[in-house]
Order: sequence, then structure tokens, then C-alpha cells
Amino acid sequence: MAIPIIEAHNLTVLYGRKPAIWNIDFKLPEGQVIGIMGPNGSGKSTLLKSIMGVVTPTTGYTKVYDQELNQVRHKVSYVPQRQEIDWDFPASVWDIVSMGRFHVRGLFKRLTSEDNDIIQESLEKVNMLGFAKRQISQLSGGQQQRVFLARAIAQQGELFLMDEPFAGVDIATEEMIVDLLKEMKGQGKTLVIVHHDLHTAQSYFDHLVLMNTRLVACGKTSDVFTDQILTDTYGGKLTTISKISQELENKEFPIRHQ
Amino acid sequence: MNDFYIILTACLVAINCAIMGSFLVMRKMVMIGDAISHAVLPGIFFAYIISGSTSSLPILIGAASSGILATIIIEWFTQKARLQSDASIGVSYTLLFAIGIILISKFGANADIDQQCVLYGELEYVSLWLEPIIGDFYLPRQTLILGVVCIIIVLAVTWGYKGLFITTFDPNFSISTGIAIGFWHYFLMSGVSLTTVVSFESVGAILVIAFLSGPPAIAYLLTGNFKKMLVLACAFGILCSIVGYYLAKLLDVSVAGAISAVIGAIFTIVFVITSSQKSKIDVISD
Repeated sequence: MAIPIIEAHNLTVLYGRKPAIWNIDFKLPEGQVIGIMGPNGSGKSTLLKSIMGVVTPTTGYTKVYDQELNQVRHKVSYVPQRQEIDWDFPASVWDIVSMGRFHVRGLFKRLTSEDNDIIQESLEKVNMLGFAKRQISQLSGGQQQRVFLARAIAQQGELFLMDEPFAGVDIATEEMIVDLLKEMKGQGKTLVIVHHDLHTAQSYFDHLVLMNTRLVACGKTSDVFTDQILTDTYGGKLTTISKISQELENKEFPIRHQ
Repeated sequence: MNDFYIILTACLVAINCAIMGSFLVMRKMVMIGDAISHAVLPGIFFAYIISGSTSSLPILIGAASSGILATIIIEWFTQKARLQSDASIGVSYTLLFAIGIILISKFGANADIDQQCVLYGELEYVSLWLEPIIGDFYLPRQTLILGVVCIIIVLAVTWGYKGLFITTFDPNFSISTGIAIGFWHYFLMSGVSLTTVVSFESVGAILVIAFLSGPPAIAYLLTGNFKKMLVLACAFGILCSIVGYYLAKLLDVSVAGAISAVIGAIFTIVFVITSSQKSKIDVISD
């Protein structure tokens, strides 16, 4: 591995006395689509937040591009979980996406026509240009997620950290996001995505981080998406596990079921 | 002239509160105005003890810093003790208010602090203390102070609009882009503290809360654009002040009470009209 794009050392975050993540160490490669997976409450979001400085780690640290986050912040885009936001806020789609340009110009300067072009392109990429003036409370879940992605694209970063972009979106949006991820990967960008759905994990991600408060495994999807590691990650939730192992079998020995 | 003074004073309070209130309503922390207007008491007491006078400026500074202290304690409880924000507001301001009451009842026997005045204000008597402005033109002292604060608030919000907007809408995203959300929080809280302190002296704590929450809530029902919401909130604040004043005159009742009642009535009317007219959620699938 060349210089890791993100690395974490002894990363622990405590909420009160309860650990959200415990002693996590990993390095992630550049230019790949990387999934972060684990059961509910396993600290996936907390991990993204501590990388972005939204949550302060109790111990340990993370580096991005082998540097402090503050040195390279302009290269990193964060897409928070859609549900963290009040979508009844009186703002338009354009207002939200333009936030992706605020830190470039600083908070006290007007956005330039170049910024407006970038905002427009970003909206076009997620097929939301026609909704630019729409109030955000009138969007469907999938459209809200597209707006968030457009805002991240408008930041023109190299590394994207996305918290559950596929949660609660319609199929059309899911397919659109997948295409977008491929396109971005083709441009050499790195995408780190918190994801829930084990069924799609293998097709979406090159690399996986499997965690359950502690790190269970981190590596190429083909190496770590195994029965044993999934059982270690998801513990007693056997129904999910058996479903997945069933699927693994189907993939490996399709002839049996024909 | 007295009518004009009272209406002008009420309108200035309305504008200050509408601007600050719009941000507070969207941050779901409008009751912080209530907290500040009570938490100022120990600040007023210490300002009185240190300066030895009841003159306005030291009292104002004492009150405003006590208000900011309250917001710091509230933020600390919320962040460090992971307490719900409404619970930390309740715990902090009752504590500060109680400390103020104990101090005044023990050491400030001759301090001129009137419960009635704190709660209901003295809007009707605003013209008792006039200051010359130009030639024969006089303005009440309170009105003058409120006017200066109004200019400060409008300038500050214009200057910091983007920062206030992005940190109100999406604090986590703001942090991720390197914006110091703590700065913007206390920037807003200083404005709220200043507004509350200068306003409640003239209109009383209840009308301050009514102005902080009512007009922004009315504007919120009517627009999907935050800038328009700010302007509409100011407009409704002014409208309520004028209607409220003449209603009070007509019925011979408290001006602050009448204005609060008008705010509540207009909110109800707007709510009924908007909820029957448009379906606010109009989800368009692709």
C-alpha cells in the first residue's frame, strides 16, 4: 500500500462511559470504493465523525493523507446522515448545495459566477437541476440524498466520506448513486461509505471495514467478506448471517440450485 | 407623541427579537430567551454592588454578561453532561435566577428591582425619561438604546449571515468544512443576550418571549426561504405591535399583554389558513 489515505491509531470514542468505538487501527488505500459495515450501534457513524473532527476521540488519532485533517480539509467532503437534518428548514435545494462552496470563498465573501457554475454542474450530476429552486421540505428521501451528494460534489474534494447514502432511498436514486460512485472512482477519487445492506456489499465495494465497536476486519472485499468474519461482526444475528452465507453459496455454486 | 414613542419602542423590540428569534426557532432553542431574561438577575445585582448605582450602563453590562454566562452554562451541561438542551436550560436559569433572588433578598434591601416590572415591563411609561436628539426632537432613553442595539443586530447578522445560516442548518457539516461552530453559537447567543436584556427592561420578559417565538413562527408557516422568513418575522412583529397598542388603548388594558395576545391570535389565524390551503409536503417521485 502506498501512503494510506486514511489511517486510524488506537482510536477510541466514549459516550459517557460507554464506548462507541474501541481501540480501532486501520489504514485505507487511495482511489477505491470502501465500505464501512457493521450492525446497528457498532460505531460506524462515530468512526466517520471522528475522522472528520465532528466527534473528538477520547484516545488515539486519525490522519488523512498522512497529515492532520486541518491541513487537508479542502480535499475532504463529508456527507452526514440524511436524518440528522431538519428538512423542514426554510431553504431551497440551491441554498443547500451552495453551502459546499462556503469554505472555499470564506464565510464573508459572495459566491462568484464560477461557484454558481460548479453548483449547477453538481446538481446536474445528480439529476436535480430542475429542482434547484424547490424548497427542501418538498423533496422525497431519495431527492434529499441527491442534494446532499451534490453539496459534497460542489466541494470538489478528492476524498468523500458518506454516512449511509443508500438508507431509505428509492431504487432509481440507489442506481444513480452507484453510477456516480463508479464515475468518481474513475476520476481517481476515494469514497468511504457507511453501508447497511450486506447483499450489495460485494458488488459496491473494493475494500471493506467490518466493525462492531472494535475492528473485526479491514481488507479487500474478496479477502474479508467471508462467513467467519461476518459471523464475528454480526454476532448472534444468525438470520442475517445464514441468509448471507446462503447467498455466498449461491454465487459460488450456482449449478446446485438449477 | 406618547403613542408614537410606545409604538416605536415596541417595534424596535419586535425587530430585534424577530431576527434573533428566527435563528433560535430553527435551532429549536427559543426558550433560551426566557432563560436569559431570568438569568440576568445575579448580573444586575453584582453590577449594582460594584458600581454602587442603578444607572443603566453598568446594569446593562452586568445583565448581558450574566445572560451570556447562562448560555455558556447551558452549552456546558448539554455538551459535557449530555443533558437534553431543554433540561439544561431549565436547570441553569432557575439556578442563576435563584442565586439572584437570594443575593437581592439578603444584601439588596434597597435595590430598586420590581417583580411586576420584570415580568410585564413598563412600556406605558417609556416616555418618562426623554433624551434630546436634534433640536426639539426627543426620544425616550429606552428607545434610543433599543435603536442602537437594532442597528448592531442588523449589521451583525448581515455580516455573519452565511456562518449563522450554515451552522444553524447543518452543524456537523459545518465542522467538517472547518467552520468554528462554537464561535457562531456564542456570536448568536451574545446577540440574543443583548436583545433580551435591553428589551425586557422596557417590555417585560413575557413579551420578549412572545416576540422571540411568535413572529418567526408565523413567518416560518408562510415561506420556504430563510431570508424572507427574517423579513416577514420583522414585518409581523411590527404589525402585532401596532395592532396590539391600539387594542390596548381601546380596551384600556396592558400594552404588553395586548401585543402578546395579538401575536398569538395572528399565529392561530395564519396556522389555520396555511394548514387548510396547501399541503406542505408535496413529495414528488421521479
